Amino acid sequence: MKVLIVNNIVPFLWGGAEELAVHLQHNLEVSGHEAEILRIPFQWEPATTIPSQILMARALELGNADRVIALKFPAYLVRHPQKTLWLLHQYRQAYDLYEAGQTNLPAGSMGDDLRAFIKRADDDCFKNCRRIYTNSEVTQQRLATYNGFDAQVLYPPVNDPELFLGGSDDGYIFAGGRINGMKRQHLLVQALSLAEKNVKLLIGGPPETPEDERQLRETVQRAGLSDRVKLDLRFLPRKTYAEYVKHASAVAYLPYDEDSLGYVAMEAATASKALITTTDSGGILGLVKDNRTGWVAEPTLPSLAQAMNQVGRDPARTKAYGKAARELWLSFGVTWEHTVEALLR
Amino acid sequence: MKIILCSSSVPFVNGGYRNIVDWLVTMLEQGGHKVERLFIPQVDEPDLLFRQMAAYRWMDLSAADRIICFRPQAHFIPHQHKVLWFIHHLRSYYDLWDSPYRGFPDDAKHRRIRDALHDADTAALRESKKIFTNSQVVSDRLRRFNGVASEVLYPPVFNSQRFFCRQANDEIVCICRLEHHKRQHLLIEALRHTKKPVRLRLCGTSATEGYPTHLKSLVGELGLGDRVRVDNRWISEEEKVEFLAGCLAAAYLPVDEDSYGYPSLEAAHSSKATLTTADSGGVLELIRDGVNGCVAEPNPQALAEAMDRLYTDRSHTQAMGKCAQDRLAELNISWDHTIDRLLA
Repeated sequence: MKVLIVNNIVPFLWGGAEELAVHLQHNLEVSGHEAEILRIPFQWEPATTIPSQILMARALELGNADRVIALKFPAYLVRHPQKTLWLLHQYRQAYDLYEAGQTNLPAGSMGDDLRAFIKRADDDCFKNCRRIYTNSEVTQQRLATYNGFDAQVLYPPVNDPELFLGGSDDGYIFAGGRINGMKRQHLLVQALSLAEKNVKLLIGGPPETPEDERQLRETVQRAGLSDRVKLDLRFLPRKTYAEYVKHASAVAYLPYDEDSLGYVAMEAATASKALITTTDSGGILGLVKDNRTGWVAEPTLPSLAQAMNQVGRDPARTKAYGKAARELWLSFGVTWEHTVEALLR
Repeated sequence: MKIILCSSSVPFVNGGYRNIVDWLVTMLEQGGHKVERLFIPQVDEPDLLFRQMAAYRWMDLSAADRIICFRPQAHFIPHQHKVLWFIHHLRSYYDLWDSPYRGFPDDAKHRRIRDALHDADTAALRESKKIFTNSQVVSDRLRRFNGVASEVLYPPVFNSQRFFCRQANDEIVCICRLEHHKRQHLLIEALRHTKKPVRLRLCGTSATEGYPTHLKSLVGELGLGDRVRVDNRWISEEEKVEFLAGCLAAAYLPVDEDSYGYPSLEAAHSSKATLTTADSGGVLELIRDGVNGCVAEPNPQALAEAMDRLYTDRSHTQAMGKCAQDRLAELNISWDHTIDRLLA
């Protein structure tokens, strides 16, 4: 079958969705299909150009593909009679982020019109596709709440699980992933000041902006924690990243209300690591069960410090939580084989 | 510099139109630039043209310092610094209007669509900072149909230093898609009229099964099985380098093609003469009869004579191969020149 994967391109940015599309293409080919990635440009500023970009996606002609698998707004609005969605994102600023007051849509009737326009285009697309999968319960629930459509959760598989096997406990908590305000690495550093002296932290990943890097370094310095926090702020080679995960005592990841489980959590669970997160972190809560696979703290410094203390206090228990995290992850049955089969169903 | 290369595509169909973009990405990245590539699907049906044109018009690529647009209708993307490397028009609406390739009626409705397209194209062309083309043929068309001036920038091949030359065997090789308009059948028919034991090697894939099958049965009918090899597959780059290195000469005789075509360029990098025909279009911008190849009339007898000459006068054939390299320098076919001009 000829399968066209349709994704956005935000020029000069490369992230998780782009990686996912590449791995999906590869695994479709492994299953004996022809696969190609189509990337459609998207620029959300100024918000007033969103309607014309919706029309752009809808005006394209996708002949010569038997199937389309579409991932993101507005790329998923392309017309094709055999389109399946694997929904990673709607335009959240028109939905939940709008309600949370974090929107780039203008206030007043202009903003209302834009929201209605986006919702109408979305609804029309959801009504006319073959099937809808989402990458997390959060995305699934939002789709039900705001658009009234049912979807099935299809977690993205870990791309290279073999890298995460056979680790050890080298006595540090690892925080991986992109460094920015929304991922809240600074909270971990601040909480560390309140934690016991033997707790150590390793933060590794690419800062989103030079400013993010500067702020994090300053937070560490100001708290006088340079001897207990190791920073490796860059895009880590895959192997290095896997080593950091494999040899950690536990892995902490506390994004603000993220949609998906997150690769950081899935990879940590693959490596049998206990997880630390917060009650408001969103999708990752599907994998972090308090006092079973890790610790779910309040997003406050004392509560986080408390969770970090637990890691070293009873290493056997921490190890057991890690094992439970891996078992929970494996129980989801998330493999590329199954994913490809579901997407072509 | 942040640069986006924009072209159109037919999903799941590969060809030179993708190579020119992909190779330029690599060369620009080697030069330290940040590069993105954009291939937007394009269907040429009259009733769908203008809706798709609107889609290109609605793209916002302001994140780039410069965009370079190739295949239509990518040239419609608006940008404050748009450079075109225009490789062809939507030819059914231009030079192929009066040809069997048009594919829709010559009536009032379609003439209006054609005229509107010409106007829109001309406006989009005029928006760009600079227009390059891949051949004199395309530059001539831009002047004739749209009244705009352009500069020819011959597309180089990737990694040309991998090609080399060995002592010549008796083989004329033709490495390009097996399609009727590439006329491999003429080469086979010519072989029947040769007086010398020249051999032929045809390599390439085809959009359909019909033509390769026809070629093979033609070889059988003419009893040329021991002198012709038809390899109906996409050969590896290593094989290509090998076949060209050892051959007597290369052949490339498309019907009135726009550009000189990568096959003639690859032959030149291998210091081999190219056999072509007087009606092959852009190929004639590169190949001069008796200088760096042979330009024959497009019939089996004339081609056979040329093949015999290539076989008999080996020292001249070899000398023409050497001249083929010089001709590349004369036409400024190099990545340095290409990038220099595109980023000027």
